[in-house]
Amino acid sequence: MNLTSTREGIGIALDALRSNKVRAFLTTLGIVIGVATVMTMAAAITGFRAMVMENIEAIGPNNFIASRFDGTEIRFSDNHGKDPWEGKPALTFADAEMLEALPAVRTVATSIDVGGEVRAGSRAVGSVQIMGRSADWVEYSRGDFLQGNNYLGVHDQRASNVAVLSPDLAQQLFPSGGAVGRSVRIKGREFLVAGVYKLKDNIFASAMKNWVVVPSTTAIKDLDANYDWMDFLVVTERGFTQERAMDDVTAALRSARGLRPAEENNFALIKQEAFKSMFDRLTGVFFIVMVVLSSIGLIVGGVGVVGIMMISVTERTREIGVRKALGAKSNEILWQFLVESVTVTVIGGAIGLAVATALAGLITATTPVNATIPLWAIFASIMASGGAGIVFGLYPANKAARLDPVEALRHE
Amino acid sequence: MSSALIEVRGLQKQYVMGAETVRALRGVDLVIERNEYVAIMGPSGSGKSTFMNLIGCLDTPSAGEYVLNGQPVAGMKDDDLARIRNREIGFVFQTFNLLPRSTALENVELPLVYAGVGKAERKERAAGALGAVELADRLDHRPNELSGGQRQRVAIARALVTRPSIILADEPTGNLDSRTSEEIMALFHRLHAEGQTIIMVTHEPDIAAHADRVVMLKDGIIASDRRQTRVPVGVLAARPESALSEV
Ligand SMILES: Nc1ncnc2c1ncn2[C@@H]1O[C@H](COP(=O)(O)OP(=O)(O)OP(=O)(O)O)[C@@H](O)[C@H]1O
Ligand SMILES: [Mg+2]
Repeated sequence: MNLTSTREGIGIALDALRSNKVRAFLTTLGIVIGVATVMTMAAAITGFRAMVMENIEAIGPNNFIASRFDGTEIRFSDNHGKDPWEGKPALTFADAEMLEALPAVRTVATSIDVGGEVRAGSRAVGSVQIMGRSADWVEYSRGDFLQGNNYLGVHDQRASNVAVLSPDLAQQLFPSGGAVGRSVRIKGREFLVAGVYKLKDNIFASAMKNWVVVPSTTAIKDLDANYDWMDFLVVTERGFTQERAMDDVTAALRSARGLRPAEENNFALIKQEAFKSMFDRLTGVFFIVMVVLSSIGLIVGGVGVVGIMMISVTERTREIGVRKALGAKSNEILWQFLVESVTVTVIGGAIGLAVATALAGLITATTPVNATIPLWAIFASIMASGGAGIVFGLYPANKAARLDPVEALRHE
Repeated sequence: MSSALIEVRGLQKQYVMGAETVRALRGVDLVIERNEYVAIMGPSGSGKSTFMNLIGCLDTPSAGEYVLNGQPVAGMKDDDLARIRNREIGFVFQTFNLLPRSTALENVELPLVYAGVGKAERKERAAGALGAVELADRLDHRPNELSGGQRQRVAIARALVTRPSIILADEPTGNLDSRTSEEIMALFHRLHAEGQTIIMVTHEPDIAAHADRVVMLKDGIIASDRRQTRVPVGVLAARPESALSEV
């Protein structure tokens, strides 16, 4: 059980693999596929996560959202049969006004979304995201006006029919350009186009192409947006920390709602970390699925390993007898065959890793996701395939170790 | 403790096969001293190989005592038997039993691997043993690149390399032609002259004639045990029927 017998075991395993390529291929196939699948997924998810995180960062570290309840908390339990917003009052325009007056708060944009069709003459675009926002939404958002301007606070007060279009929507409704000053019909109501606004490039922007921004008051009054579900997009005043702003908003809402110190908040403040942890929880679920998939792959591969090792033990029964006659102890035979099966599975794992690297390269080349296999995953896959080698090699190796030397020498 | 190398008393071996019990050895008493050269003969099925397996610690007796080099062997555990095989016994088989994928040198190194000898010393001793069987120029040949006689010489080098107390050879010339058999016998003579104890099983009276002592087994017991004046090497090849009358 020393270095020499280890090296010898690896050598024997490599020889055995070389001398029967088809069998070796079939043996390692399960492990190759398992490792390749999992590593490719790990690479894709890691790349996707990096991209999403970058975009979440772009929201701005000082901004946060006030909401009726925290939708980023994924609940697996049903909260004792109650809806999570039960007993939590909706946020109102009055609340927004009150919060905006706080020194630590720069702006509070009201936010309320609804979906619907937008038309311009004979052209129609269905399922457009209609975003009800007070005029200061641009403080929270990152982007620029390509044409025209934003609407004004006065439009909020009057619930005017004014709209800002996304570049894609403007292009579809007005292919020949010049959307500003023209009129569109949103859910059948006539609106004046004030501007075309391009969000700073990010994954959410590219995922959602057709959207239109209108005053939140108008969205509620004319477009059936539900006042009960209004959120606040809060921007912290310069010179104040986000923490201070959140504390002040919390205190103001609590006192406005008459909450006693022992009572919990009946509203939620969500910062970008919440989105990050939501995303992490989602990817966590993915990783669990991956671990399950890879375990299945390794088990399937492992059955192949048991098969090839049993054949190897049978074919080499006489050799085992000779080794025992020359003084090999049972443990040394066991070790030799374990080394052999671990060699087989680790080679399978390495091939799987190579396949995954190629696939990750393909993903990087053909999608915006920069898929790179994380270092821990390389380590884990080699460990897992080596572990499979030990687990599945144990039975055949033990069989070899227990062979009676006389019987083994007489074999064939 | 006895000064004899091998001391066997009432050795028995039974094989249970379903309802039937085969009594391969039925009480063998034998003492073999250091530097004896013993041939074991007897009809097929008389228990020669069974006896060799017990002497070589590959198997354990059903009953009886066996003291090897002062150590009582019967009842030892597997790992202890493995250690004794490694240190005390050098096996030579009828079918050579070399590892086909390994070179001559690697084959001869193998017992030293299990003895825990370091790499450099191992290579040196293995090369030395191959030199002693006149194969110094075949170190890197694999078994399929060697003749039958050369293979058996590699096997003998492998048996010698640990400097064992005994060489046990079960029909060492059984797969060789008479010329090559003589070569192997000449080698055994030399080893014996250097002080090696040799026990070999053979069917062939010509081969047995090389030994100092011939033990005849019949139905699992010793039928005769006699010393003889051995024939000089090379003579038998010319006169095959000689010395037979003695046995
Ligand atoms: N593993 C075994 N199981 C059952 N019977 C066995 C076993 N090994 C040997 N025998 C029996 O024991 C007896 C002695 O066998 P052994 O191999 O010692 O004979 P032998 O003298 O070496 O014969 P040969 O000259 O043919 O090699 C035989 O009857 C054989 O069938
Ligand atoms: Mg026999």
